[in-house]
Amino acid sequence: MSVVRNLIDDAGLAELMRAVQGGDSSAYRRLLADIVPRLRHLIKRRRPFLNSEDVEDLTQDVLLSLHAVIATYDPQRPFMPWLLAIMHNRMADAARRYVRRSSHEVQVAEVPVTFFDDPTNWTSEEHGDPEALRQAVAALPKAQREAVEMLKLRELSLKEASTQSGASIGALKVSAHRGMAALRKALARGQSR
Amino acid sequence: MKTGKMIEELAAAVDAVRPLPPPSIRTAAWLALSLPFLALVVVVMSPRADMFARLMDTRFLVEQAAALLAGVAAAYAAFVSTIPGANRKLLLLPVFPFAVWLGTLGLGCLQSWLRSGPHGLALQPDWVCFPMIMLVGSLPAVAIVTMLRRGAPLSPCTTIALGGLAAAGLGNFGLRLFHPQDASIMVLVWQVGSVLVLATLAGCLGRQLFNWHLVKGNSSPMQR
Repeated sequence: MSVVRNLIDDAGLAELMRAVQGGDSSAYRRLLADIVPRLRHLIKRRRPFLNSEDVEDLTQDVLLSLHAVIATYDPQRPFMPWLLAIMHNRMADAARRYVRRSSHEVQVAEVPVTFFDDPTNWTSEEHGDPEALRQAVAALPKAQREAVEMLKLRELSLKEASTQSGASIGALKVSAHRGMAALRKALARGQSR
Repeated sequence: MKTGKMIEELAAAVDAVRPLPPPSIRTAAWLALSLPFLALVVVVMSPRADMFARLMDTRFLVEQAAALLAGVAAAYAAFVSTIPGANRKLLLLPVFPFAVWLGTLGLGCLQSWLRSGPHGLALQPDWVCFPMIMLVGSLPAVAIVTMLRRGAPLSPCTTIALGGLAAAGLGNFGLRLFHPQDASIMVLVWQVGSVLVLATLAGCLGRQLFNWHLVKGNSSPMQR
């Protein structure tokens, strides 16, 4: 019974995919919305040790890859084998990336210092005064203060910060850079007093 | 980014695309582009003086047919390798013509050895083979890499190695039409050796030449 249901499902997805190749964005939205839960389920089943964020990352990776190779789908053939081949490939790539990354990592319980040189460790050891930092940020010129708040404190992307502030991405970069330099100077001054 | 938002952005960014033709048609298109270039190089380099006699020689014809078929089969397999869900067994297709090519050359070596002893297998330097195969295979190589990048980089090293084998196989086919070298051992070492070296080098560059960022398909809204 489930074989028959899968065949019907696949025929529907193949039909949607043919419409997608014709540039139909609503068919594409329906197709992606339909396959996302299946992808999540399959990825979870094959990689049960992944947390939900990693599963979501992999699912999105598959969607982006699918999007890049829409032209490789042969409208005469079933859809699911095509999708599963892309999914397996992206899962294998993710596993390779993980192995490569972890081979360069050293697991330690606690990192005592970032580098051996003292000046590089000032943030965690010597400037732990949030009030001094707040005052230094407040003393910055408006453009620099906004750039630092949005990009460094709230961790917005350049694009998001640009949309919110109305400033260009280039101007935001310059303001954030100048603001950080001014903060470093102000905090260093405060410490030497 | 939330997956729901990504779906909206992808749906908004989709363009109409023409499905890629089947690998057989793409192989034919690649040959249609490559063979005139190969003919041009042979004419420019001037065809060998004994061409007519060679065309009467069965062994030469079998070796040339096997080299050409190995190149064509490798191109077909390379195109297949970029189609998600395609039968991966088809990637072994070049093995048969390549085995015939090696077998014929091996038989030639054996006959030379039986006829002349160890002198029949004497190896002379013939460095011209490598650059000449590269020259004849240059346009086919560029053409096949460009065409392959419209597919999916499922196994980029294998795909590009097969593309390299296709271009080098065609290059060797062209080389023997203007380079008068027919001693089996020389062809085996210098020419087949060059083809294998070029295919291996191409395979090593697979991930640089062909990866998910370089696919010539729908551009991702995240990359805009």
